[in-house]
Amino acid sequence: MERYQPIVINEEVRLHCIKTDKFKTNLVSVYFQRPLLREEVTHNALLSMLLPRGTRQYPTAQNISMELENLYGASLGSDVAKKGERNILQFRLQVANEAYLDDKNIFSKGLNMLDQLISDPYLEDDQFSSSYLKQEKENLTEKIEGRINDKIKYAYERCIEEMCKNENFALYEYGKKEDLPKITGEQLYHHYGKLIESSPIDIFVIGDMEQGYIEEKVRKTFQFKRQNLVSGIREQVHHKPSKVLRIEESMEINQGKLNMGFRTNVPYESELYEPLVVFSNILGGGPNSKLFKNIREKESLCYYIFSRIEKFKSLMLIGSGIEFEHYEKTVDLIQKEIYEMKKGFFSEEDIDSAKKGIITSIRSLTDTPGMLADFYYTQTLSKNFDSLEDIIKKIEKVKKDEIVQAAQEISLDTIYFLKGKKEVAEK
Amino acid sequence: MITKNLKSTLLKEEIKIRELSNGFKIYYMPKEGYTKQYAIFATRYGSIDSKFRVGSDGEVFEVPDGIAHFLEHKLFEEEEGSIFDRFSHLGSNVNAYTNFTSTCYLFSSTDRFYENLELLVRFVQSPHFTEENVKKEKGIIEQEIRMYEDNPNWKVFFNALKALYHQHPVKIDIAGTVESINRITKEDLYKCYNTFYTPQNMILFVVGDLDEEKVFTTIEKNILWKSEVGQTDIVRYYPEEPGTIVQNRIEERLSVSIPLFNVAFKDTDIGYGGEQLLRKELITKILLEMIFGRSSELFKELYEEGLINDNFEGEYTGERGYGHSMIGGESKDPDQVYHRMMKHIEALGEKGLNKTDFERMKRKYIGEHLRSYNSVEFIATTFVAYHFRDINIFDYMDTIKSITFEDIQRRFKEHFQPARSILSVIHSK
Repeated sequence: MERYQPIVINEEVRLHCIKTDKFKTNLVSVYFQRPLLREEVTHNALLSMLLPRGTRQYPTAQNISMELENLYGASLGSDVAKKGERNILQFRLQVANEAYLDDKNIFSKGLNMLDQLISDPYLEDDQFSSSYLKQEKENLTEKIEGRINDKIKYAYERCIEEMCKNENFALYEYGKKEDLPKITGEQLYHHYGKLIESSPIDIFVIGDMEQGYIEEKVRKTFQFKRQNLVSGIREQVHHKPSKVLRIEESMEINQGKLNMGFRTNVPYESELYEPLVVFSNILGGGPNSKLFKNIREKESLCYYIFSRIEKFKSLMLIGSGIEFEHYEKTVDLIQKEIYEMKKGFFSEEDIDSAKKGIITSIRSLTDTPGMLADFYYTQTLSKNFDSLEDIIKKIEKVKKDEIVQAAQEISLDTIYFLKGKKEVAEK
Repeated sequence: MITKNLKSTLLKEEIKIRELSNGFKIYYMPKEGYTKQYAIFATRYGSIDSKFRVGSDGEVFEVPDGIAHFLEHKLFEEEEGSIFDRFSHLGSNVNAYTNFTSTCYLFSSTDRFYENLELLVRFVQSPHFTEENVKKEKGIIEQEIRMYEDNPNWKVFFNALKALYHQHPVKIDIAGTVESINRITKEDLYKCYNTFYTPQNMILFVVGDLDEEKVFTTIEKNILWKSEVGQTDIVRYYPEEPGTIVQNRIEERLSVSIPLFNVAFKDTDIGYGGEQLLRKELITKILLEMIFGRSSELFKELYEEGLINDNFEGEYTGERGYGHSMIGGESKDPDQVYHRMMKHIEALGEKGLNKTDFERMKRKYIGEHLRSYNSVEFIATTFVAYHFRDINIFDYMDTIKSITFEDIQRRFKEHFQPARSILSVIHSK
């Protein structure tokens, strides 16, 4: 596998090529970087749903689907994501590698469709189709309302929302339902034009093709106009909560969902960032972790429990599913584990296992094209140009005293508990 | 020791097979350039196998529901403690899953593969059940069951199975119930372990950029079964299942924002495995795409009328003893969606299916199958699932190419019958 230096295609348009013949597909991911702001987050989400509805050449989603089926089940789509306080609009194409087929034009055809989806939408009187817009507004409303369906994810996101309620990071990547009715077709089309020309763009191509060939194809296919470019941002990450916020919500559910949000106060630029990652992994990274061993295996309080770092925002989140009446007990036990780790009560063996686990996941990324693109894009956003091996070396070098040092800055900010309805009635 | 080969020139992939004298089969698929190494140790023993007999004169046993899954949890415990630690020290991820027909133990690593492999082979062969550790596990599994009770997709699916099947244990939750798992004893676990964790009933599949000979010898060296173990056949008992459905409609209320639904068709053409089953599976998948897929007329209409959203998808499950097509989605009016689906099928029956659609779907499945070979996890888990149904995974491409429009038309008439369809709905509370 060869990763080339990014090529500058135009102002703030970069092409990243990774050449490998181990996959049976070729992948193209195009990322538009936006600031995460209330004013546009709902617009961006709506665009990610509206653009796949039709292009000038393929005016309906049915036309697009048929063409993709003809291209041997190529996948083409758009989505939004939140990376720290950046809002990413992403387009992705995956097509079969022609080496395995009789057809030899699959990649070019796919790339053209990707370009059309981004740059040549289906229009009526120089505006987005009003019926498409109306339908996608309804779909987006359903999607936002549908957050409650996945209780584990919902509780996790609600915890962040409460913890960061005065920061843009609290915004849900699919936006706000109440902002939808105000969005007019004209306004959205205007925003779309602005987004295409002013966003930093990163294009990742992973597959069995020479860089020169890809560059030529990309330059010929995509013509991004550039104007009033938005600049990158860096999140505010230092935060010492004055007191712990406790939020309880009820829903008619069978199992309580507990989430605890911490401020780590360790930015990713810091030398303590890797030690922090190791800390979180020892605490709740997997079946060998402190939380899994004690809260699950020893106490039988839960089936799942994890700890995770939100890189860009320097947060640590713990999540678990428990019986309603075990709320206080579980919170106490989790805090006890953190307290002991802060005191340095963990072994060299714990550190070694955690490091190996992290390194295995980093290495494993290289076997999945989509994850590989996403990983390098996250790196690009954090202006880190380390190779995978450089990153692995940094993890390997982490020492116990650094982990303990990184841990000292971690403070509990918010405890969020999603509990059952009956309990409320009793109280 | 003979090593055989399975080869696919189309996919440019091959699988090496070695059979030990006790009948145990090992499979290795080289994946050049891959960082990840993956091994899966699987037994043909799932949630539906709770009534069985060993040998012609053996006693018939009936064990509590959820025992295969319980056993999966408990195998991770060794006399000297949890096996998780030992994999973690090697930096690998160990896991397991139980479904209707199999239990699989697996790990993925990027380093020290052979040590990991040794651990896997040994721990699966070393049960250690005590009164105390069985009791402790009940609390954990109870939380797992509760977690699924809050999962609307899981509920809508199992309710659909309950509406489809009168007797067949596929309608019972894989983890069992809180009541059934509390009846499980350490003796039950040993009984099931000794019955189903045998060389003839298990396989091991390895995939990665590895040394073939070392893969085979590592496994051979760590196999504890004695070569002279003569295994008598396992007889599995499944109740007689009528071809009819139980009820046309089933519903429940949960905390969801919009109703969820599954529409299912019960398969009556069952009772076989092998290439014939693969063929039926692929024909049915193509049909599901032609009738309900993204490029279908029905999808277009329902989507534009706001009756369905992006989550509308069909899949087919075909085992020897049962089969069903299941189409799931979200809608503010699931009854209307169901009604329109049935009308659409009726209309297609009259005007006939479209041959161009069929040709397009064949291309789609060829490309998607190719893509699936990107993932070592997919290859390993699919290999196992196919193997237990006597299907050779490399037959996929040839079989799909050999399917004719006549096959499609025949299956359409036989399988997509409104009288054998059900609607399962989860309403909002």
